[in-house]
Amino acid sequence: MPKAKFSPVTGRYVTIEVEGDEYKVFYLENGSGQPIVCQHTAGCHNHQWRGLLEDEEFTQNYRVIAYDLPRHGKSDPPLNQEWWKEEYKLTADFYTKFIVTLCDALELENPIFMGSSFGGNVALQLALYYPDRFDAVIPVEAADHSPGFYLDWWQHPHANAAQVCASGVWDLMAPQSPDKDRWATWFYYSQGSEAFKGDLYFYSVDHDLRGKLDQIQGDKVKVVMLTGDYDYLTTPEDGRRTASQIKNAEFIEMVGIGHFPMSENHELFRNYLKEALDIISAANKAKA
Amino acid sequence: MAVAAEYEWSTRFQEENDRNEELSAHGKFFTCSYLLDMETKKILIRTHSGKIDTINVDPGPLDHYQFAIRASADTWRKFAMPTPPPMYHGIWAASFQGDMKLEGDLLVLMQNLRCLTAQLEILRVVGAPV
Repeated sequence: MPKAKFSPVTGRYVTIEVEGDEYKVFYLENGSGQPIVCQHTAGCHNHQWRGLLEDEEFTQNYRVIAYDLPRHGKSDPPLNQEWWKEEYKLTADFYTKFIVTLCDALELENPIFMGSSFGGNVALQLALYYPDRFDAVIPVEAADHSPGFYLDWWQHPHANAAQVCASGVWDLMAPQSPDKDRWATWFYYSQGSEAFKGDLYFYSVDHDLRGKLDQIQGDKVKVVMLTGDYDYLTTPEDGRRTASQIKNAEFIEMVGIGHFPMSENHELFRNYLKEALDIISAANKAKA
Repeated sequence: MAVAAEYEWSTRFQEENDRNEELSAHGKFFTCSYLLDMETKKILIRTHSGKIDTINVDPGPLDHYQFAIRASADTWRKFAMPTPPPMYHGIWAASFQGDMKLEGDLLVLMQNLRCLTAQLEILRVVGAPV
């Protein structure tokens, strides 16, 4: 018999309805305990969370769930729509409704939501509009506002869109992150160019919480923000400024890592994530 | 930089480029010309099928190139460190957060972005000529 090694991570599809659209959503999961729902970055898919999904120190206490947003990875565009006749532009309203519907479908109690980049920005949106549905959010590489990345270059027909997207985000990673992980992230990005620009409509245009951060009920939903110092899109200054305007929020600067921390260097990221989860646990104990 | 040092830098850059495994594997269509404007020095690099065709230090006013990457000498020195500091670690980072400017036919830059990125990272090996 050939040597084989099975991962404890399992994958499954769940079909849900959001605003009349039907989505067959693929998710990976491992572990048991309080759910941590993980959102990948724009134009990417759930393999970015591969390190966390197999990290026993986390999975022995948490149920880690990493899904593919529709139009990414193994989650197709809506099954009951002629989606190819419309330009894809992700909105905050749909994005938050989708996540809440998915959490309801999986019957998740008291989940922690964690996302990076456009997943971090939607974590802030969830904290603002759905404070009763989540125990806490961990916005990674997020800010109240992140303009400047909704670019036509991502879909220019005279350039190789796969390579433009993948190499266009290369500098978002720290150069000292391991080559194999940076190239895995590059490879994922070469697969998602068609959705990337539409995702960035949310990231750089529709997402704008300037002047609204003080409405986030940080005493109800704990907010712990993490930002890497090599992130040129949402810098540590952006994260610090955002967290400072949210009640009870905390900000942690991650040193030596970039915009895709869970994917470019899980071994470093896990230390900061532990710190964030400890803060959330302590806040819950204080509340109890 | 003296002429001999410029020649040595150009030779090292070309050698590192032409033996770069990634560029050898993926550079079949990597053909373009661009200017690196480093404030105190300008470098015109012409590449053909992934290999260096010519490196022209301080080109003349009528020497042609398709796009230019301009930044201060200080930015290029940090860009060319073995481990560049944050915001100096690539042309996107330094353009969004620093004084780097991308000018000219940016479509050519985007068409060659993968290999161009690899080629510019050779500066981390040979250093900046400023």
